[in-house]
Amino acid sequence: MAAGTTTAEMTSAAPVTRRRTPTGDAIRQLRKNKMAVVGLIVILIMIFIALFVDTSLFTFFTGGKAQPLIAPYHYAEVDFLHANAPPLTRTEEGKFYILGTDYLGRDNLSRTLYGSRISLSVAIVAATVSLIVGLIYGMISGYGSAVRDNFMMRVVDFLYGFPLIIFIILMQVYFKALSATDDTNPFVAWLIRIDDAMGGIFLVFVAIGLLNWLGMARIARGQTLSFKRKEFVEASRSVGSNDGRIIRKHILPNILGPCIVAETLAIPGYILLESFLSFIGLGANPPTPSWGIMISETYQAMRVAPMNVFAPAVALTLTTLAFNFLGDGLRDAFDPRLAD
Amino acid sequence: MYKRSYVVMLLLALAAMVFSACAAPAVPAGDSSGSDGDMAGDMGPVTVRYNLATEPPTVDPALSTDTTSSAVIRSIDVGLTRLNPEDSSAEPSLATDWSQSDDGLTWTFNLRTDIPWVKYNADSGEVEEVTGDDGSVMYVTAPQVEYGIKRACDPETASDYAYILYVIDGCEAANIGEGAVDDIAVTALDDATLEISTTYAASFFPQIVSMPTAFPTPQGVIEEFGDVWTEADNIVSNGPYAMSEWIHNDSMQLVKNPFSPLWAEDSRAGNVDVYNFVMIEEASTEFAMYENNELDDSTVPQDQMDAVFGDGSAYGDEGHIAPNNCTYFYGFITKKEAVSDPNVRRALSMAVDRVTLVDQILKGGQEPANSFTNPANFGTVAFDPEVAPWALTEDLGGTGYAAAVEMGKQLMADAGYPDGEGLTLTIGHNVSEGHARIAQAIQAMWTAAYPAIQVNIETQEWGVYLDSIENDAPMENKPDVYRLGWCADYPHANNWVHEVFNPDAGSNRIMITPDDPAIGDLVAEYTQLTKDAQTASPEDSLAMYKRAEQLLVDEMAAIIPIYFYTTVRITKPWLNRLYANDPYFEYWTLDQSGQEGM
Repeated sequence: MAAGTTTAEMTSAAPVTRRRTPTGDAIRQLRKNKMAVVGLIVILIMIFIALFVDTSLFTFFTGGKAQPLIAPYHYAEVDFLHANAPPLTRTEEGKFYILGTDYLGRDNLSRTLYGSRISLSVAIVAATVSLIVGLIYGMISGYGSAVRDNFMMRVVDFLYGFPLIIFIILMQVYFKALSATDDTNPFVAWLIRIDDAMGGIFLVFVAIGLLNWLGMARIARGQTLSFKRKEFVEASRSVGSNDGRIIRKHILPNILGPCIVAETLAIPGYILLESFLSFIGLGANPPTPSWGIMISETYQAMRVAPMNVFAPAVALTLTTLAFNFLGDGLRDAFDPRLAD
Repeated sequence: MYKRSYVVMLLLALAAMVFSACAAPAVPAGDSSGSDGDMAGDMGPVTVRYNLATEPPTVDPALSTDTTSSAVIRSIDVGLTRLNPEDSSAEPSLATDWSQSDDGLTWTFNLRTDIPWVKYNADSGEVEEVTGDDGSVMYVTAPQVEYGIKRACDPETASDYAYILYVIDGCEAANIGEGAVDDIAVTALDDATLEISTTYAASFFPQIVSMPTAFPTPQGVIEEFGDVWTEADNIVSNGPYAMSEWIHNDSMQLVKNPFSPLWAEDSRAGNVDVYNFVMIEEASTEFAMYENNELDDSTVPQDQMDAVFGDGSAYGDEGHIAPNNCTYFYGFITKKEAVSDPNVRRALSMAVDRVTLVDQILKGGQEPANSFTNPANFGTVAFDPEVAPWALTEDLGGTGYAAAVEMGKQLMADAGYPDGEGLTLTIGHNVSEGHARIAQAIQAMWTAAYPAIQVNIETQEWGVYLDSIENDAPMENKPDVYRLGWCADYPHANNWVHEVFNPDAGSNRIMITPDDPAIGDLVAEYTQLTKDAQTASPEDSLAMYKRAEQLLVDEMAAIIPIYFYTTVRITKPWLNRLYANDPYFEYWTLDQSGQEGM
């Protein structure tokens, strides 16, 4: 695959004569990339599983208790008599554990399926937060005066040294304390409600997003710098467009593609970071399953019940690979040097 | 003492008290009763490789509060008495005999004066006797015991365990700053006689002075080096072993102290010359090292229980299970709104399926608990169906779990939470795989019994966790339910119901107060009862302790007793050790040819 350093040229070099849009070209290019298509399909399947693993999508609005839909059992359903059961165990009560059970007799398959929720949520929440923050910051920095640009980029350099783990711990402690004090601020109450619904890990995602926009800000700034001197921007300015309109109509649409590609490539990192945080105990509240938690809770019993570790590990690998392939495919698709 | 984790605890038990040196009649010098290093021939010193599981927080006897510290301290220091590993009775150690005055309030200890202070000399690699300015050997004497006890009571020392000595007249006043340390009623009449006055006639006093908190300590060394007097370069000690090396958070080495009279006088003495301790926190790592023959003894991780103890185990008879004088329990912060109603607390306690927990999850031979005081103590009411019968099986005269849950459902509905509807609570525990499993199992049991209940689990690192559940910690930092283990310091119910939960005397993490609107009268009764039991005759006190347990576990329902601990170990065939509450390192024997043969 080609190195993705030529994003600056790609839109300006778009072959106008063929009456095709850059996006249409990119999609055609993407469809030729088999690995990227497979990655996309895997991700779509994952999203489907995450949405319909149980009925909570409906009960979140209507109230009531969610029932398992795709998953055979609820993730917290214990069966103490069949702890650490091997795969394909059928019990006297008629339960069937395709991937066996963990140390409390919870179905590995169900927990792995439920675990997709956490991993996909981090992909969406952290990526969205970091994309929005990074884009805005980068464009403000790149578009303004050299002095402001210099100052804002030094701030980014400074933040690169900020310790992520400490920030996440502080964030969790702060919001836990807030939720204990009956704060009536509707925004906080809403945040805490979402956090509870996601097993106490939503705020971790926000924290990840809030600290990972730095790379995005640099990309957005670089893109903005290169576009703000382009002829069509000059032309727009010469007919009286103000800065806001130039940014909205000319710069943002042009830099958005490469920025999204860069963000897609960062998603596997977020998923792994979530697993890592869960592994060291900073993640979801038990019994909410996250792949990282499942691995950390059971790896010591790997010799006794290997499927406990294997199932979430395979799911984790598949998901990160899928995002990587899709990200690579997107990058190549937007790269005009590889166009046919 | 608090158990850090049940895994660690399985291992280092503690109930306390160890070391006595001279129970056996003196043996003529030269006639070695155990075995000495010379039997090893050219195989080098007899060495046991053992995992302490954690860095000992201290080896200063006055500051020790945990099992790891006390295991080391009891190996390198001696107290007035030591506890018999079999029945935890007080045996002579530094004191050869003792007597109680007619009113029961004054104890006189006669001390031996031939135990020298020793220090490891890193240059020569030998343990050497400490000599005074005039070159004469310094022996452990009564004034040093007096210093040790007064130092532990001194608020300057900040010993968290000083309250264990509050039975000594003047100790409590001095410790809380209302009296002078000099007024504490411990007096060395001469080098060999010590007189101690107590505030009440405590029959278990000889067992209390077996605890490190009451050990003699070397005043000169402490004053010379301050806080770092316990480092390997500075420490002087007097026990069967001496510390030769302590690399913090990594390893520690003890070497045999040839000047300790224990080796010649105690027929139970073992033959180990050197203990190499490591500090591996993770049980699975420890077990892997054991399998790899890097350790001679190990805990058994929960997931390996079946492999070690199951039929046809590949480990033969290397696995060992022994009772341990500790109780695993959940305590309620009764001032938290969610659990302020005793009916809710009792319903939660009823919904804990102790038998399933022990048989299916722990699998270490633990006993389901219906009371706080462990069965190994005087005054215990364990398995008595008149105390919390809903925690006992039908076989023991209890109600069984199914009936208990039905009762619980009723109580929950009466309290205004039908099926747990509207009840949200948080379980707190310190970070550990084992605690996490138990918490999740109990979370699942509560959810099964009361489907609408919302149970959260929070974990914290051990030190932070202990701080957050202290009686005076900020309420918003506390969970509704906390987990702890308690291990006997001396085998008497006083150490349990009085010293842990009495609101006037104990740490009282459950925050019971006589002005509680729901259980105030019961708290007042409990407070008075456990205090009166101290001075009652042993026969009368039995009924009082039973009533106190009924109050604690059932009527106030301030705690959920869960199970009585066992020590679960796996030991190489060439090591012969005890599985008592403390390790008793000095009694271990090792067949060096077996170890070398691997």
